[in-house]
Amino acid sequence: MKLFSVLGLAAALAAGLSGVARADQLADIKARGKLICGTLGTSEPFSFQHPQTREIVGYDVDICKKVADAVGVPLELKTIAVEARIPELLQGRVDILAANLGYTPERAQQIDFSYSYFVSQQKLLTTKETGITTAEGFAGKKITAIKGSSSEQGVRRLIPTAETVTFQDTSSAFLALAQDKVDGFCASELILVKLAKQSKVPMVVIEKSLFVEPWGLGLRKGEPAFKTLVNETLAKATGSGEIDKTFSKWFGPGTAFDIKRDYPIEEIKG
Amino acid sequence: MGYVFDLGSVLSGKYLDWFLIGIATTLALTVVAWCLAIAMGIILTLVRMIPFRPLGWFVALYVEYHRNVPLLVQIFLWYFGVPSLLPRPARQWINAHHGEFLLAAIALGLAAAAYVAEDIRSGIRSIPKAQYEAARSIGFGYLGAMGYVVLPQALRISVPPLINQTLLLFKNTSLAMAIGVGELTYRTREVDSYTFKTFEAFAVATAVYLAISFAIMALGSWSGTRLKLETR
Repeated sequence: MKLFSVLGLAAALAAGLSGVARADQLADIKARGKLICGTLGTSEPFSFQHPQTREIVGYDVDICKKVADAVGVPLELKTIAVEARIPELLQGRVDILAANLGYTPERAQQIDFSYSYFVSQQKLLTTKETGITTAEGFAGKKITAIKGSSSEQGVRRLIPTAETVTFQDTSSAFLALAQDKVDGFCASELILVKLAKQSKVPMVVIEKSLFVEPWGLGLRKGEPAFKTLVNETLAKATGSGEIDKTFSKWFGPGTAFDIKRDYPIEEIKG
Repeated sequence: MGYVFDLGSVLSGKYLDWFLIGIATTLALTVVAWCLAIAMGIILTLVRMIPFRPLGWFVALYVEYHRNVPLLVQIFLWYFGVPSLLPRPARQWINAHHGEFLLAAIALGLAAAAYVAEDIRSGIRSIPKAQYEAARSIGFGYLGAMGYVVLPQALRISVPPLINQTLLLFKNTSLAMAIGVGELTYRTREVDSYTFKTFEAFAVATAVYLAISFAIMALGSWSGTRLKLETR
């Protein structure tokens, strides 16, 4: 650690002496000697605690690792709550967000998004008993979502007559649905499929997606050097097939999902 | 880069509506829970004074449970636990009639009742026992002696601590956010997650909570002077 900080200080001094480098985020990360990545830690298979090793692992974590490797520093993970994601980034407590962060125009005013590294089908889960089979069937009903999530905002936008009831985490929202306190639960398809499988109360995922949402890594605005590096890393990893390898590790054959990547890794167009 | 404090952005359009709904819900929750707390508090106090030991133990147990288990846990228990013990039609009725509000009010009210019971009991203990005995000796029954002689004085003495409990109850309503009751804190966080104006959103909430707290305190001191008995 000490060696790192000495090296970091030397690098910072060198940068200062050379007179060209402004203290930008990329230089800060290099000087600090680690990349701090904000991730959820509660969202399998994106970021969750491995049952045996107790370490936070997942698709989001692997993507962040690629960025850290490209910068040439070790990765440090910081677990954060869904609704705290953007404030944590803005206040500089994390360098980058890999935290199920869906693109919305409102968020894009606050932070920059990298190329999309995942595209999420936002769907609705309901109990068999409600008999609802389409998104239209939820008009005037109660729908739950995670507090501060884009799913919540999507429900408000697309089913304006529905009442949204938000909870702090997936388990509370799911329990509310299982106990008939709400009629539906809006979240990423992957989360819902897993919940529906584990549920004792018979549940169904509504086939048609409510909306489709590209996920990007969250970056602070006004850091062009870091953003370019992140996007180049994603583009390179796509070209070399590394992204596909990572994707199939978490979602491919042998996992509960067994899906293929069917979206491009590219700039998110608002 | 300086922070631009922009209250207007959270106090306009739908965000203002959300705040207003939140304030109304917070007040409604406070009033319902308060009525329950006072009613239950008086009942507990009366039960405790019945000279039958097990009843006294029951009240002591009630008070200890509600004072020693975190309120958030009590709220979760009422919201996720209790309804699953009820028969199906009752559960459906609760779910269809804003169960989260009802159950939060019950949880908050019952917890506050434990404190209210303690406060009233201290009030009653401050009334000399001779007054009760005198009332009984001129023909009042137990309820008459309590209702006409002891409680009117005891409740007046209990007013200042009860105002304190009211303030606590009012602030504790913010915990109902955890089970999806759309009260002020819930709405504040919603405004925050839409606008990302964290500072402004919580500044508004702080101002509203302060204003209502002061109003409760003012009401308390006003009723304190109104209710004061001339001592002879």
